[in-house]
Amino acid sequence: MEIEKVKPIKKFWQEFKKGFVITNPVFVLVLGLCPTLAVTSSIDNALGMGIGVIFVLLGSNIIISLIRRFTPPIVRIPVFIVVIASFVTILSLVFEAFIPPLYEALGIYLALIVVNCIILGRAEAFASKNTVFYSIADALGIGMGFTLSLFIVSFLREILGTGKLTVFGLNLFSIPVLSQLPLSFFIMPPGAFLVLGLLLALFRWLGVLKNE
Amino acid sequence: MLKVNNKNNKKFNIDKLLKGKAYPLIFLSLIVLVSVVLLMYVNSITKAKIAAEKETQIIEQLKLIFPEMKDYKYNKDEYYEVYSSEDLIGYAFTAIGKGYGGDINILIGINNNFLIESINIISNTETPGLGTKITENFFTDQFKGLALEDVNLTKNGGKVDAITGATISSKAVVDAVREELIKKIELIKNKSN
Repeated sequence: MEIEKVKPIKKFWQEFKKGFVITNPVFVLVLGLCPTLAVTSSIDNALGMGIGVIFVLLGSNIIISLIRRFTPPIVRIPVFIVVIASFVTILSLVFEAFIPPLYEALGIYLALIVVNCIILGRAEAFASKNTVFYSIADALGIGMGFTLSLFIVSFLREILGTGKLTVFGLNLFSIPVLSQLPLSFFIMPPGAFLVLGLLLALFRWLGVLKNE
Repeated sequence: MLKVNNKNNKKFNIDKLLKGKAYPLIFLSLIVLVSVVLLMYVNSITKAKIAAEKETQIIEQLKLIFPEMKDYKYNKDEYYEVYSSEDLIGYAFTAIGKGYGGDINILIGINNNFLIESINIISNTETPGLGTKITENFFTDQFKGLALEDVNLTKNGGKVDAITGATISSKAVVDAVREELIKKIELIKNKSN
């Protein structure tokens, strides 16, 4: 009896942890690069996007897992899209009503969570095949892994591109020389590609070292 | 015999429904219906809050331009008439500039002599650290007291200096302000005549 009770919780943690490193959506699965490149020009936007994605992923994973037995395979993708789009619309209305500054900052990228392939990917690959319990673990793990990846990219871009670190309007610190002569290149779109490319290479290298 | 037959019939019907050709269509319609009802409900809750939020934002923005404002009226010609306790002290209206990263929403305030009182960048999606400098005072203060003919970049014969490294954003603001001023001054003059 005891073993059976422990097992699901252990598996819950495994499904949760995998999102951070083993199947990190950005650096390992290389999914959802569009928002990763677009909203990481400041830490505020990256964190706001991360929170939005966690909410939508959690909602869509739970619902899709609940209805998985009744969903006819032939219409599963339209069903997933409707569920995901509903959650994104709810999120966008709630943000607009209660946290307008974040709503303004995220702009179009909030609505574009609908087409974020991480969410559709998890619905297809995980939630439609697993129980609600593990789907929650998967959503939280992958969602937080995504947020963490956005945070790393935006942290590097903001530090290099402005020489300062500002979180929700609070100036944490500024680097003496860099803040006067910031490398604005890193805040512009090409900087996003460079930072993301180098981070992908780093994660690949770490993966290779681990396998050896 | 009869009972068994009944059971078989029921089971058969459910299977028929689940594997029937119409089932995917019915299921998808059901999902869409649930989604629509849910969204209508969320919309009905948040609608009032969103409208109230926009209202307070407008008042705050107008007060930044006209600190002595007591009341305002929104005109059907899409400009605000701004009043101190009794008197009309100026007009305000919004303009949309085509920036480097998307739309730039600008609130422009003018006094009774059609000189710019002040401008305010309400929202923008410009490049952080470069284009976003258009929201800073050193840029927007340049518009204070300008007449219509001076609203242009210095290199084009106006009195507004572009921000280094953000020429497109600066030009977008200046052009949007100028075009909107031309339109709205005309409207206001026609109305007072």
